[in-house]
Amino acid sequence: MTPRALRKLLDAILIPLLAVLSGLVLMGVLVVVTGKPLWESYQILFTSAFGCKNAATSCSLFTTLERATPLIFTGLSAVVAFRSGMFSIGQEGQYLMGAVMAAYLGYAIHLPYVIHPIVIILASMAAGAVYSWIPGILKVKLGVNELLATIMLNAIATTFTEYMVQYPMRADRGTTAHSPIIDATAFLPSFFQGSRWGVGFIIAVLAVIVVIVYLWRTKSGYEQRMAGQSLKFAFYGGIPSDQAAIRAMVISGALAGLAGAVEVLGVQHRIMTGFSTGLGFDGLTAAILGQTHPIGVFIVAILFAGLRLGAQIGLQIQVHIPQEVGGTIIGFIILFVAARKFYENSIASVRKLLTRNKDIKAKGEGG
Amino acid sequence: MGDFFQVFTFQLLNSGIRLATPILLAALGGALCNKAGVLDLALEAKMLLGAFVGILAAYLLHNTYLGVLVGMLAGGLLGLFFAFLYHKYEVDLVILAIAFNLIILELTVFLMRVLFNNVGSWTDPSIQILPDIQIPLIKDIPVLGDILSGYNAIVYASWLIVVIMYVVLYKTPFGRHIRAVGENKEAAETVGINARMIQTMALTIAGMLAAMGGAFLSVGHLTLFTRNMSDGRGWTAIAAALFGLNHPVWTGLASLFFGFTAAFSVRIQNVTNLDPNLVNMIPNIATLLVLVIIALRTKIWERMARSRFRSKLREEDRAKDIAKSV
Repeated sequence: MTPRALRKLLDAILIPLLAVLSGLVLMGVLVVVTGKPLWESYQILFTSAFGCKNAATSCSLFTTLERATPLIFTGLSAVVAFRSGMFSIGQEGQYLMGAVMAAYLGYAIHLPYVIHPIVIILASMAAGAVYSWIPGILKVKLGVNELLATIMLNAIATTFTEYMVQYPMRADRGTTAHSPIIDATAFLPSFFQGSRWGVGFIIAVLAVIVVIVYLWRTKSGYEQRMAGQSLKFAFYGGIPSDQAAIRAMVISGALAGLAGAVEVLGVQHRIMTGFSTGLGFDGLTAAILGQTHPIGVFIVAILFAGLRLGAQIGLQIQVHIPQEVGGTIIGFIILFVAARKFYENSIASVRKLLTRNKDIKAKGEGG
Repeated sequence: MGDFFQVFTFQLLNSGIRLATPILLAALGGALCNKAGVLDLALEAKMLLGAFVGILAAYLLHNTYLGVLVGMLAGGLLGLFFAFLYHKYEVDLVILAIAFNLIILELTVFLMRVLFNNVGSWTDPSIQILPDIQIPLIKDIPVLGDILSGYNAIVYASWLIVVIMYVVLYKTPFGRHIRAVGENKEAAETVGINARMIQTMALTIAGMLAAMGGAFLSVGHLTLFTRNMSDGRGWTAIAAALFGLNHPVWTGLASLFFGFTAAFSVRIQNVTNLDPNLVNMIPNIATLLVLVIIALRTKIWERMARSRFRSKLREEDRAKDIAKSV
């Protein structure tokens, strides 16, 4: 790696790293407020998020990776949209559409192993893509603000999912509504008995690679990134920016739909009332903290999933600190990374201070 | 069909107005921000904060009205903090909103658990609900009295704010300044309007209004706080503001529409076997359609202006040709 590339990388990761550190310091404050042991809490958070006592039975790292899987997809979905200048926050809705499609096809059609999940995944991706194409076409043809359109579409998808779970797809009259369990032929297998970390994660890793190759190594991806940086410049440079924007929205929706499919086929095996838990927004935050880069998203998704799991099974159960501390920290990390100017100002002033000291020293030596 | 018409009763109107109140308050805040050119997507967070701080203060101060005020203060401070970060560190307002929607959601539950050792919801028998107030004279009017009277102070306040906001925005120089900042910040600054101050004020007032809507939920409608009590009403409020074209009166009517559909969907479950979720979908679809219609209107105006300009050019050319030929 050339020094210049190294420096670029350092610049890219410095502020997210500082934001994460600030978030962890803030967690310390919350721990102290509740009057719990500080150092022990950190230890427990990390061992219950990324620890692995016994690979076969109690490996919480596997659970973290399982929970990171849908986040990686929704994060990638946000990256593809953002990189082409579409500020779509519709991942939540597209994720739900993909999940409903997967849960329905899981029990409604019967196909042999391997073929069944593939058919479902493609259908879910199509569902997400169509649901994302709507704000895309509205933006390009009519100039409808995609941010506001996706907010509405999220709300519509949430009520639609509730409706599907409560009525047409409801399995029984039990207290909590849920759809029937999907056929075993449609399950995405997991790596270990008793863990739900499985094939979905491999698909997520593949998706990271595909998105990198697409955005940085293909003509369409180049067009998209140029359209994202400056729509007018791209247009006058002869890039069909409208098409690029719509294509970005379709790909973004397909990725979010894929998240829904993987969650249903690999983990839940059905959908239930309250299925939407803000996964779309978590993906969005992963994209923001991950510097809208697929690799960044991959790392941040695992970090976020770990923080939430560590807070849930570590802090809450072992130290009796409410698990909400995990989500709170994630929120603050986003806040810190959004306030990057604050860090940039501080870094600049530290640099200034250092160079001034050097100047003084140099002067002192000279004189 | 007879069953279906049983849905429409006075109670439906009453509960529609009640359910519209929190949406209306937050929507007015959102509309004000949109008018001042700052998009406030954190209405949900501010509402939830108002609900939490409102009930907590009502419990500690033994006075529900004071509780509502303290809740509003908290929402206003959050709005002020937004404005500070936005202006001082140029933080993206959308990202800031996403961060705070998450922080307030989780932090309120965290605090509820730490302070009261409770998991799902918290209440205390000493907390008084905001009392309903009968308006003298109006309450004696036959039919209308039942619809217009008998709500708590926040409901009346919300409609008073609609009127105040309309007057301030459209009938005062200050209102013109706000709208000028929203339409073109640079131009407004050039003529000496303090855009930064106006946007700060809009975000702060929006925070107070949304928090007031939240307090309505925790001490006006019920007397308890539950996890995620605002339950998407902040997002609904954004829709209502858009549906009402950011105009206070239209936003008021839009919020009523949202409130009535909510009341209707509750009633419909009891009377018929139609699904409430389908009814709840209607306002959001309507808002999306409004967004499309607004965009279409702008597009058509642009096209008309362009064709007018072209025909004018053509006329001028013709006039020149005629002048030459003569």
